[in-house]
Amino acid sequence: MKRILVENIGDGMLLAKEVLGPSGNVLLNKGTAVNAAMGRRLKNWGILFVYVEGEEELQTAQAVAQLSPDQILALLENKFSAVINNPIMKKIFAAVYNYKLNKGPR
Amino acid sequence: MTSLSSLQATISKITTIPTLPTVITRISKLLQNPQTSAEEIGKVITTDQALTTKVLKLVNSAFYGFPGKIGTITHAIVILGFSTVANIVLTASILDVFRRKSNEGAAFDMEKFWLHSIATGAAAQAIAKFIGSSQKEECFIAGLIHDIGKIILCQYQPAAFDQVLQDAQQKQILFYESEKAQFDVTHQEIGGMLAEHWNLPAALTAAIKYHHIPSTSRDFFSVTAIVHCADIFVRAMDVGNGGDEKIPCMAEVAWNNLGLENVPLPTLIEKINDEIERSTVFLQMIN
Repeated sequence: MKRILVENIGDGMLLAKEVLGPSGNVLLNKGTAVNAAMGRRLKNWGILFVYVEGEEELQTAQAVAQLSPDQILALLENKFSAVINNPIMKKIFAAVYNYKLNKGPR
Repeated sequence: MTSLSSLQATISKITTIPTLPTVITRISKLLQNPQTSAEEIGKVITTDQALTTKVLKLVNSAFYGFPGKIGTITHAIVILGFSTVANIVLTASILDVFRRKSNEGAAFDMEKFWLHSIATGAAAQAIAKFIGSSQKEECFIAGLIHDIGKIILCQYQPAAFDQVLQDAQQKQILFYESEKAQFDVTHQEIGGMLAEHWNLPAALTAAIKYHHIPSTSRDFFSVTAIVHCADIFVRAMDVGNGGDEKIPCMAEVAWNNLGLENVPLPTLIEKINDEIERSTVFLQMIN
């Protein structure tokens, strides 16, 4: 099972977990074959990720690199919330944020 | 809070953990003798056929830079040197002991745990290379096993472990802060005891024990400080997960002593990422 961004859903991928809507209702069942068009529709529902069959890739940093700048910022802000006033941590925060922005999807 | 007697019970159970293969001790002894030849070391390693296969798989991976070119242990020693091969044997043995047991459905994600551990090893090696340290291999192993105490707690005190995990996630605190609050012992201490039980080199034991407070690591400050930094970079880069969503504060003494205050961080992060990408072979070995 691997987690992918809905933008990266390819034709014929199989859902490894059901997809739940904002109110907890099941939008798509486990085992459903999905395609790019369905991915776009899921995005309209506010769904960011789905779980599909297949091997997890080592580099989750790559998946993060494909998030929007706002999403990257939110993720880092949450992680760093207790330490962001430390000058060294501030530098690391900025460097990692820029790195993720510039890396972009492959 | 867990009582002292239950803590002692946990520690006593550690002795039932599988031991490292005797090959490790025999190699350490041989390495102390300057007269030892590549053939002699090769002979000792090849007495353990399963281990030999794993070592050859590692030396032929992109991580060591000779993909698919090394056919025998002796050849590996000639190309990579005694100490590198000894470190690879140690790495393969440790990974073998902790080969992933299925924990399908459990709250703790072992896959992500190993991803974090392997990435911390790779990052530690990248930092060591970057600052010109001669201990890059020790740094890799130390990073790989810095959180080994978490596995022990997970296996031998599963209920308490789950509580620590839950508390860390609910309160959004660090895993070891949650351990301290609930379990009166941390994964650093438990991991350190295991390392001592295994007679691992003192630098590795120190890095496990003090990776959150490198200033207390005395003689082994350099390796410990590198692992401390590697852990923080890997968390910031969001590779894997060791059981919490937060990031510890960088110890100024580590940062300054390693000379990181003057390095271009974008270049360092790029190097860390490259090293992590090369380390996929270790994830295959733990599965």
